[in-house]
Amino acid sequence: MTREVTRALGWASAVTAGLALLILLGSRKLEHFDAALVAYTFSIVFATFGLTYRYTMWLSRPPTALYWRRGWQAFLLGGHRLRNARSWFARVTLDVLLNRFILRRDRLRGLTHLLIMWGCTLAVAITFPLVFGWLHFGPVPGNLSMYQAVVFGFVAFRFPHDSWVAFLLFHGLVWASFLVIAGVMLAMRRRMREEGAGAVQRFAEDFMPLLLLFAVSVTGLMLTASYTWMRGYGFTFISLLHACTVIGTFVWLPFGKFFHVFQRPAQLGVSFYKDMGRLGDKAHCRRCGHAFSSRMHVLDLIAVERQLGFKYEIPGSPAEHYQWVCPPCRRASFAVAQGLLWRDQRGGAPLSQTHEPQAMPAQANPGLGSGPLGPEDAENFHP
Amino acid sequence: MKSPEVAADVPVPGLDLDAIREFGPFRAYAQDVRVDSGVIPDKQVKTHCCFCGQQCGIELKVKGNTIIGIEPRYDFPFNRGMLCPKGVKRYLQQAHPDRLLSAYAKDSNAPSGFRRLPYEEAIRRVADEIQRIQTAHGPNAFAVLSGASLTTEKTYLMGKFAHMCLRTSNIDYNGRLCMVSAGAGNKKAFGVDRAANPWSDILETDVVLVAGANVAECAPITTNYIWQARERGAKVIVVDPRITPLARTADLFLPVKPGRDTALFNGILQLMIENDWLDHDFIARHTVGFEALAREVRAWTPQRTAEVTGVAERSIRRAAELWGTAKSSFLMHARGIEHHSHGVHNVLSTINIVLASGRIGRRGSGYATITGQANGQGGREHGQKCDQLPGGRELANPEHRAYIAGLWNMEPDELPQPGVDAYEIMRKAHAGEIRGLLSICFNPVVSLPDNNFVRAALEKLEFFVTIDFFMSETSRYADVVLPGSLQEEDEGTVTQVEGRIIRINKAVECPGDAREDWRIIQDLARALGRERGFTFQSPGEIFEELRVASKGGICDYSGVTYENIEKHDGVFWPCPSETPAGIPATSAQGTLRLFEPDSWNPIARGAGPFYFPDGKARFNVTPYVGPAEDVDADYPVILTTGRVVSQFLSGNQTRRIGPLVDHYPEPRVELHPKLAARLGIAHGDWTTLRSRRGTLTVRASVVSTIRPDTVFVPYHWGGRKSVNQLTISAQDAISKIPEFKVCAVNVVKADGPPEYATQLEPQQ
Amino acid sequence: MPVPETREFFLDASRCIGCQSCVQACAECDTHKGQSMIQLDYVDRSRSTQTLPVICMHCDSPTCAEVCPADAIKRTEDGVVQTARKPRCIACNNCVLACPFGVPKMNTRMNLMMKCDMCYDRTSVGLKPMRASVCPSQALAFGTREEIAALRPGARPVNTFQFGAQTIRTKVNVLVPKAAANEIIDVTAAMYEPPLGRDLLDDMSEPGRSPA
Ligand code: SF4
Ligand code: SF4
Ligand code: SF4
Repeated sequence: MTREVTRALGWASAVTAGLALLILLGSRKLEHFDAALVAYTFSIVFATFGLTYRYTMWLSRPPTALYWRRGWQAFLLGGHRLRNARSWFARVTLDVLLNRFILRRDRLRGLTHLLIMWGCTLAVAITFPLVFGWLHFGPVPGNLSMYQAVVFGFVAFRFPHDSWVAFLLFHGLVWASFLVIAGVMLAMRRRMREEGAGAVQRFAEDFMPLLLLFAVSVTGLMLTASYTWMRGYGFTFISLLHACTVIGTFVWLPFGKFFHVFQRPAQLGVSFYKDMGRLGDKAHCRRCGHAFSSRMHVLDLIAVERQLGFKYEIPGSPAEHYQWVCPPCRRASFAVAQGLLWRDQRGGAPLSQTHEPQAMPAQANPGLGSGPLGPEDAENFHP
Repeated sequence: MKSPEVAADVPVPGLDLDAIREFGPFRAYAQDVRVDSGVIPDKQVKTHCCFCGQQCGIELKVKGNTIIGIEPRYDFPFNRGMLCPKGVKRYLQQAHPDRLLSAYAKDSNAPSGFRRLPYEEAIRRVADEIQRIQTAHGPNAFAVLSGASLTTEKTYLMGKFAHMCLRTSNIDYNGRLCMVSAGAGNKKAFGVDRAANPWSDILETDVVLVAGANVAECAPITTNYIWQARERGAKVIVVDPRITPLARTADLFLPVKPGRDTALFNGILQLMIENDWLDHDFIARHTVGFEALAREVRAWTPQRTAEVTGVAERSIRRAAELWGTAKSSFLMHARGIEHHSHGVHNVLSTINIVLASGRIGRRGSGYATITGQANGQGGREHGQKCDQLPGGRELANPEHRAYIAGLWNMEPDELPQPGVDAYEIMRKAHAGEIRGLLSICFNPVVSLPDNNFVRAALEKLEFFVTIDFFMSETSRYADVVLPGSLQEEDEGTVTQVEGRIIRINKAVECPGDAREDWRIIQDLARALGRERGFTFQSPGEIFEELRVASKGGICDYSGVTYENIEKHDGVFWPCPSETPAGIPATSAQGTLRLFEPDSWNPIARGAGPFYFPDGKARFNVTPYVGPAEDVDADYPVILTTGRVVSQFLSGNQTRRIGPLVDHYPEPRVELHPKLAARLGIAHGDWTTLRSRRGTLTVRASVVSTIRPDTVFVPYHWGGRKSVNQLTISAQDAISKIPEFKVCAVNVVKADGPPEYATQLEPQQ
Repeated sequence: MPVPETREFFLDASRCIGCQSCVQACAECDTHKGQSMIQLDYVDRSRSTQTLPVICMHCDSPTCAEVCPADAIKRTEDGVVQTARKPRCIACNNCVLACPFGVPKMNTRMNLMMKCDMCYDRTSVGLKPMRASVCPSQALAFGTREEIAALRPGARPVNTFQFGAQTIRTKVNVLVPKAAANEIIDVTAAMYEPPLGRDLLDDMSEPGRSPA
């Protein structure tokens, strides 16, 4: 077992143990624990173990580790904390909560993602506390028309059982499944319809999660239908089915596409890292002499590449390490190298050296969608 | 320095902001249904690109009445899936926001200068004006300008309309700025005007000589043919004042000084004679006139040639040796040597070295001019040239007149006499001799030289009508604009660079009031009360008549059918429906290669492979004459013009396609660092060019890939960005092609950005 | 699922004429319509018309994927390095800066790296990648080894590249002259070499004479 694995197992065990402890505490030593939900609880505990394990493994990859460290450094950078906190809120709101960057990729995709994301969030927010016994509802003793919500064993609030609050609360999962089903439908439509999406998708990676979400939502709805309108017809069977789908989803969580939920927030770290980069020195390409990227980023990449076993050092060259060469000059060197091999077969000769440093290659078409795809590209490709 | 001699009444091109606001050019990008990758096209229509004479095969993907994308035709033998960027993005011209959806009439009260007009009313008005002008001033007072991007059916109809319906002598076409020098040269030397070989012959040749053709940008697909020849070991020689992308890795590059091509080829021929790199047998059996020519070129020693052409003597010697000793060879040229006041001589001087080598009319050896426009070949064959009748017949030839008059059911005497060329039409308009003009598929305000004069001429017309799909710079001068059709909105045939007749298929319907050009012409004939001969129901019917009209002519299409075109991926003319007894019938694919040793043609009738009664090709004496306007102390720099790969001709279409505009947004002047240094101009500086005719301010592009005595500006833009404000209207005596490729200018750093810089988008 | 692909990419940048068909065609691809994934630059337009088309080379051990902190770049069994998985890519720019060939692009607004996928959507249904099909110089060619061998008798494919001390093997081939001894193209060795072209003054008869 490598060190990373040992460490990951350690973290996974610790976090899982922590969760177990919280369940014990929250349910007042299982007093409020709903035994019918025990399978759910176990699947979540399993998922927690798996997720923590994978997250730790992920963090131990050199580039991730570096970003993790640097992200926090950047976020906590002295003198910038207030601004960082502000932009943290802005970025969380726009990108995480509102999915701005996905909406920009495609409006409909953004909507799809918003629906699925908020549906799942709502469902999790309702079920997890219930499943762990952290929250339960019961009639107010002595007042049959009132209900109360008990959180961690403390009464949180009361409400009449025929009020709209009650209706909304007790049907929370129904609302969630509506959102999810709508989202899944949209996603399926896109996957079936678009040639492009069709070509790159994989069943396990792209369809499985959608099917799981769909199954969970539909069986959940069937449960509601069964006890609301059909006097509990087939209730046991449906609840078994529902349990299976939910458990399946949780068990799948650490392995499949859902992992991105936990990975994605790293984007925030990256944005702070880039902020920090902009404050510092620029890297200068050692072929054309122009500024590109941040010096910090280049140095970090050199370190990461070394850890990964890449040997981009160039002994005896003024460039020292290939990472000091900007992307356009990399492309130019590549093509020049190929072209030179043809010098005796085809016409033309190496031009006399008049530039020192080498001329900066220029994007042939700087237009929309043809050259750089954004300001950042433009910076790296120094327009 | 003398200031430019601009006549006081010449209107300086305005910024036309209001017209631009209403009619564009605006850039279209793919959006909505065109980027929705979930949309499945209703159909995919096999057709060809609408730009350039190579006519690459493409399929248009159609959804509803919108073309949403393209797919190259991998099976079409010419391009086999290859396309240039224009072909890839051509679909964006359709369903374009600038598209003219109705007729317009000039209205000085409307902010844009135009108001909409119901179609019928517009036709009525045009017919009335034609009637009025012709009654008052004679039939020749109304002229017609046509174009070579139309299908051959339409070009036939335009010629017929002018000659039969309007009875005017004055019809000419925009090929006058394009193909005529090559055409005249080919006629003089070979008796026929068509690429002598199919492009597949390039693949098997040993030496490729490219003269005055920026193949990479103007005929991109030809590049692969040349590169493939080189894979087999062929040597590539490029003659050009600029290091074009092809020239960069060519085996030999001759940076000729603009306007000195005849001298260069005379010099090469002299070296061939000196070293006896001649095919004496071929010269003796198949040509006439070699001795006279040999006497003429004797004076062209390598030293003198080098001195005049500006090409290193050693390179000239090497070129002569490569060419002279080759086993097989292919020579091609384009506007670079043709756009001159002695363009025909330039062409003939290249043909001379081909004939002297004897390498023509066989597999792997040949000669061709690279046509520029979509139907540059077909458009110059069937009667829309000022002196021409269908089938490559001549308007001045009584026999030809009789044949066509018979077909058209009129007396030969009723056919008008040959008229004048396109530029002369402008001069006559300026002089008040021509008072009315109909223009289709032509944008003279951008494309003719000295276009300040052209503007003035158009302003003087009593009545000017255009048929256009976008409001071109020229249409802005019209009294009535009729909404015509885009290539994809109509069907027909065109003849591409190799002489291959191909099918253009209709993919979408004309939007709004717009309709197929041939319908508009027929509507006009009807409104004029002369609809006899103009009642075709489809392009197919026009083609059937065209077949008969061309029968027995040089450009014989009589054996060509739409079915055979589809079946064989094109038919090469001549393709006569019948041949005399004893002569094998022409294959269904037509005649791939001209001048094959034992071939038959209707002129030589078996006497030899060339299209003269004796069957022999002609050597033409080509004395060198310099350009009409050479540099002097006041205008010390040579200006040459040309194209960029992303734009097509006057840009009326391509300046509306966003991704193509981004590619090369605005005209720039290319100049050598040496010249730039002397003038104190840095890369990107606003630079003013002045000629005796006009002024142009554009940004400088300082590159060492151009001769230091020459500057280059591409010509696709209108208004104040048009380089044709500066060019000279001197014309070739024979072909009447204007001298776009040489004039004298004065170059200085501009004081600041020109007015348009802040007011116009790059394409406008 | 894609059919087994026997056709490969062959790149011969020195044939390129800079026409940008590839750029325009790439933007027609269904997976990224409107956005071109190809990189086309002028080496030094002030002196030469040389242009360089560069596409993803699909490395055997892709640097872009290894330096990606989000594990967003995957290589398929048949050696195609796919563009970043949309849910994962966190737009850190590592791949853009680290790719030895300078290939990936960064779409900042969408927080997404984009690069060539070898037109998975087209090749999987038997079509050629559009940009290789359209290329009028066939600097970008797509076909089987046999087809290319027949078309380019003087050339030989090489797919190993040297960057400093690092050797990179790729799925995409580069064509070198048959006569060349190289099994490896040393990119960093050519880093400070001038581009191939020609000096117009060399071919003129009186280059010294001033233009006026
Ligand atoms: S413009 Fe010419 S080369 Fe380009 S795609 Fe069209 S026909 Fe082909
Ligand atoms: S060429 Fe660059 S982007 Fe492509 S696989 Fe290799 S490292 Fe990744
Ligand atoms: S299409 Fe081919 S020739 Fe044109 S720029 Fe791209 S690689 Fe070069």
